[in-house]
Amino acid sequence: MQTNNELIKIFHGPQHPGITGNMSVELDLLGETIKGARTHVGYLHRGFEKLIERRTIIQAFTIVCRICVPEPDPNEENFARAVENLADIEISQRAKYIRVMVLEMARLGALFLWMGGQSGSIGLGTIGQWSVHDRDLILDLFEELTGGRVYHMYIYPGGVRRELPNGFLDRLSQLLDYLESRLPLYDNVFFDNSSFKKRAIGIGVVDANEALKNGYVGQVLRGCGIKRDVRKDNPYLVYDQLDFEIPTFEGGDVYARAMVRRGEIRESIKILRQVIKQMPEDGLIMQKIPKHRKFKLKKDDTFVATESARGEFAYYMAGDGTEKIRRMQVKGPSLIHGFTLLEKLLIDEELSNVAMIMNSLGICPPEMER
Amino acid sequence: MNTKLDIKGTISPFNAITKLFEHPNTICYPSVKKEIPKGYRGFHTNTLTDCIGCANCQDVCMNEAIDMIPIEEDKNPKNSSGCIPRIDYGRCCWCSLCTDVCPPSSLKLEEDCIWANDNSNNFLYMPKDK
Amino acid sequence: MIESLKQQYNIEQKESRLFKLIIKKEEFLKTLSFISSSSNFITLSQIACADWIEDEIFKLNYILTTKERDKNLMIELEIPREESKLPTLLNFFPQAEVMERDLHEMYGIEFIGNPTLYDFALENWKEIPPMRREFDTLAYVNEHFDFRKGREDNRDVKVEIKRRRAEAKRLKNANK
Repeated sequence: MQTNNELIKIFHGPQHPGITGNMSVELDLLGETIKGARTHVGYLHRGFEKLIERRTIIQAFTIVCRICVPEPDPNEENFARAVENLADIEISQRAKYIRVMVLEMARLGALFLWMGGQSGSIGLGTIGQWSVHDRDLILDLFEELTGGRVYHMYIYPGGVRRELPNGFLDRLSQLLDYLESRLPLYDNVFFDNSSFKKRAIGIGVVDANEALKNGYVGQVLRGCGIKRDVRKDNPYLVYDQLDFEIPTFEGGDVYARAMVRRGEIRESIKILRQVIKQMPEDGLIMQKIPKHRKFKLKKDDTFVATESARGEFAYYMAGDGTEKIRRMQVKGPSLIHGFTLLEKLLIDEELSNVAMIMNSLGICPPEMER
Repeated sequence: MNTKLDIKGTISPFNAITKLFEHPNTICYPSVKKEIPKGYRGFHTNTLTDCIGCANCQDVCMNEAIDMIPIEEDKNPKNSSGCIPRIDYGRCCWCSLCTDVCPPSSLKLEEDCIWANDNSNNFLYMPKDK
Repeated sequence: MIESLKQQYNIEQKESRLFKLIIKKEEFLKTLSFISSSSNFITLSQIACADWIEDEIFKLNYILTTKERDKNLMIELEIPREESKLPTLLNFFPQAEVMERDLHEMYGIEFIGNPTLYDFALENWKEIPPMRREFDTLAYVNEHFDFRKGREDNRDVKVEIKRRRAEAKRLKNANK
């Protein structure tokens, strides 16, 4: 801690509207300029990884979605895929397509929510009201499909839990048309907005040379012009059979990351349209899996990764031959972004830019402290 | 810093004004209610003439939210334990695993999902008989 | 690229894009620095630790990812559970800082050379590191938290079935 009178120490968060979740950043300020930053987490420590040790696989399934509130589905997908790897279950083509559909819907929802957060962090509150409404329409479809709005608990080891309701794909198609018709509005008011550009260009610049080595993921990489996406590089489910692009943008700043996400909304809509077209008519949505206490994993370990709306979610999972999972370790995109990267980016920034930078990195505490 | 005037970026946000004349997307809650789709994970129902009191639901519940309590009058002769589930809604997470493992499929979730009470100790819920 | 590493190390292929290499604790730094500098496995994605209490070891998996992010290599090593120590990887990867801090707090592993092993998520934690398997979550919860009143009438179904069978038998005999 600095003891001279020049630096002022303040806590940005945990109760601050501009912080992305229950965490805080300890800032050393010289006037308005940040001279030192340190991330603190622990306000949301729910001990998921410990709880999973004493639960059976089926019981552990309901806890993983709680690791990320805005889009729980990549976690469910990771968990399901890791269990399938360790239990040698192969899921049907139809289940794979349904999973891709759910993942992309979740990505769209998370990106719309991000748009509200990012615009709110620079004072453009109107956009948040629109985009959260648009996200709600996606949640309505989730409600119909899975029975829950936020925590879907739908992607299950062995497939998915419910059959598509009648006419679901048509309604999804209509929603996509509606969302697509909204995009020019967001362009006009948010992405092209000169006040957003003035605030965001040149702020929070990530060094592209060290981005790959330092393990940055998702939009942070793509905002530096580096084309990396788990869906393309290490394809899972049926992503290798779908045609989509990875949007990139040069600059590495907040604006570049926003423009990458703008492109991703369009790509997600494109993927969903292909999924609707290619969805197999029949096929088991759920493979036969052993009953509750008979479901055992072999003594082995595996590593799986899924691209979420904020970057790569990776799970390490080890089984020990019993019905319980020996170890499941979660690595979310925020773990590196929230500590090493954020602490570095905030140096010599203005205090008023902290919320904007955190939002554009997509930092979310539950996946840091699990 | 770029000082060139960004004319398009300055004018286009005023598009938002057109939204002033549109019908709002919100609904007037108590008088207009949102339609809850079929299959929503709301409160539990239990068909007592089918429930066999096997406690599979209690076994699978990871939140330990389910108690098996004695039934007042036997409605199902196959119910060998004479117990039926009661759910602690302070702990339930509505994952619906209990309904998945129910052998006679008597335990189900209904669409109704609104319950207000001022004491959290009152959230012990006896599933409705349906 | 993985082929040239395969000539030098005993790398096992687990899946099409997932590889595993098991090394000794002594050759840890040498192997990690060699692979991260001379192959395209340049990024550290995760340090995963599993507690195998029955063998008295921690199994650590250092997961390296290629520059193209298309292949993952798990480098596994075992360290003893008591007085577990490892050299830090901070000189190779800045992201190791927070991963090692996490493992230090959750397992009590000492990473020699990492100056940032202060509190991560737990504040003023005085008990044994919580992710070690001898830490009993249920006992801790029972000690520190109350349970909701009104749930004491829960019955054990197996006991209940036995009791009712015995009762039915008794009634039958009495009727005879």
